[in-house]
Amino acid sequence: MSEFFGIILRSLEYGSIYALASLSIILVFRTSFTTNFAQGMIAMFSTYFVATLIHKSGLPLGVAFVLGLIFALLLGFLIDIIVIRRAAKLSPVGKQIITLGVLSIILGLTPNIFGVYDLNMPKFIPQGDMKIAGTSISYNALLNIGLGLLVMLTLYYVLHRTKAGLAIRTTAENAPVARLMGVSTKLVTMFAWGVAGCLSLLAGMMASPFSQVSTTFMNDIQITAFLACLLGGFTTFFGAVAGSYIIAIASNLLQVYLPQGTVWGKPILYILLIGFLFLKPFGLFGKRYVKKV
Amino acid sequence: MDRQLNTFQRIYKNPYLQFLIVGVLFALLPTLRAAGMVKAGTVTVIGTTLIYTIAALGLNILLGYSGLISLGTAGFMGLAAYCSAYFTEQLALPFWQSLILALLIPTVLGVIVGLLSMRFVGIYLGIATLAVGEILSEIFRQWDAFTRGTSGARAKYPKIFGMQLDQTGMYYLIVIITIIVFILVYQLLKGRLGRALNAMRGSEAAAMAMGISVYKYRLIAFGAATLLASLAGVLYVHYIRISYPTIWGLPLSLDFLAIIVIGGLRSIYGTLVGSFVIFAMSELVLKQIPYMENYSLVLKGVLIIIFILFYPYGLAHVVSDLRMRLGRRKTKVHPLAAKEEDIDG
Repeated sequence: MSEFFGIILRSLEYGSIYALASLSIILVFRTSFTTNFAQGMIAMFSTYFVATLIHKSGLPLGVAFVLGLIFALLLGFLIDIIVIRRAAKLSPVGKQIITLGVLSIILGLTPNIFGVYDLNMPKFIPQGDMKIAGTSISYNALLNIGLGLLVMLTLYYVLHRTKAGLAIRTTAENAPVARLMGVSTKLVTMFAWGVAGCLSLLAGMMASPFSQVSTTFMNDIQITAFLACLLGGFTTFFGAVAGSYIIAIASNLLQVYLPQGTVWGKPILYILLIGFLFLKPFGLFGKRYVKKV
Repeated sequence: MDRQLNTFQRIYKNPYLQFLIVGVLFALLPTLRAAGMVKAGTVTVIGTTLIYTIAALGLNILLGYSGLISLGTAGFMGLAAYCSAYFTEQLALPFWQSLILALLIPTVLGVIVGLLSMRFVGIYLGIATLAVGEILSEIFRQWDAFTRGTSGARAKYPKIFGMQLDQTGMYYLIVIITIIVFILVYQLLKGRLGRALNAMRGSEAAAMAMGISVYKYRLIAFGAATLLASLAGVLYVHYIRISYPTIWGLPLSLDFLAIIVIGGLRSIYGTLVGSFVIFAMSELVLKQIPYMENYSLVLKGVLIIIFILFYPYGLAHVVSDLRMRLGRRKTKVHPLAAKEEDIDG
């Protein structure tokens, strides 16, 4: 039982990472109406920025992180102002390819700016762990779980209880009408990209101590986040978060309890997901897409 | 079009002759290399680009004609590559038998994946096929007995009609197959299949009312796309002679998508041009620019964005776009503007 509990706790940590990444995808999807294939690269880029500040400039983690958040915010603004805003009238597939162009630019810039070497990222809390119900968990993992929950609660509060949140939700619901009602959808979209950048950075900061900061370290997380969005239904912020935690838990359970789970856990999880979504093609919380003739 | 074409126009406006001329131009390349006018690497880059064109053309049938998206193209291409390498190397089957099996297995799988399109629409289908691609790419990484894992599956230049091909021979084979594929795709999509898919993209309900079996044609579109991806995979593994699991991931699938969007939906030449922009341009042009060698990816990204912003209907329409700007045509609305909205991603 304590093993099971330990798996759940560990999954919550991974789930936080996936949830942050998928929230950033959904924020962009709902306000700019495009799937952002560059999400992982944006996360990688700003995480590299933080890691470089720590290693080259010797800044403490906290200061570097705050500077990183500002960097990620500005990066998001920049991408929206220079590229995405101009692409508003394109077909959906055209917009997706535009984000692919952004991906290519960022991937090309990274080695030129930050060097070709992988960097280590320290944890927020370097050491120490505690026992919960017979299983040990590091303070850092607890902090990650807490941070994930905190961000989500804040986002929920902002979306549902503030004027800015109302603007985001109306833009997401119907951009032309929102514009008519006096919502500056341009500003909303810009901030959505900025905030998405910050969420991506946070996901990158949490994920990087597991591996290293390299140009590819966010790719798998981005793919999992896409699947989480699909499972959640791609239309609601809550669905993406729920999808993230479900995928994290299912993935860890399969890896531990399945024979050879570490090898075949991931493909089996994906097959199960596709099978489930075949029955519910608009996800757990998605709205049905009604086709008018 | 009652205007009488003169003999010269009749020849150069004949699409089949055009394809043949393009093929002959590509086939001249090894001769130019022998004459020292082209670098040896260039031939390989262009051969690979033609292979990618075949796979992208399959995706163009799927997305351009039937409006269905797939992000699993690279996975199927990789599956065919590994099948062909496994059958010719480990089971020592003759090339032809292995070719048929390597085309058949992924295509059957592709048609099964096509079943997903019965339930998913737009981006939902995109992500679902992305998951299929990820499953395949995870299998390539883990199933060592079949794929040789990270050390890579090797294959040889094939022997066809009792002739052992070398690198140049393989290049000619690729050119010939590419042109055959161009002609077949042109021929098929001009006929019943193309009309049915076009009708489906316009309105499924109307297509059904006209007696078109939407499900059948969706599966045919998926099958055709996978078949061409598989053909490309087989050619790839026998041209490059090694296949690594890392090649067949999401980035390659996205590149295929970029090819057809940049080149132009429903355009064969557009697919060819897009393929050169995505695969050959950075090798042949961008990396040659002095002081910019390290920035070829950045330039590629910038060019992708510029092409899509300025030519949203694809580079295949550059000529008609220019004509419109110069005012030869009266209409202000782009002829393709209305059609594109049906495809949602």
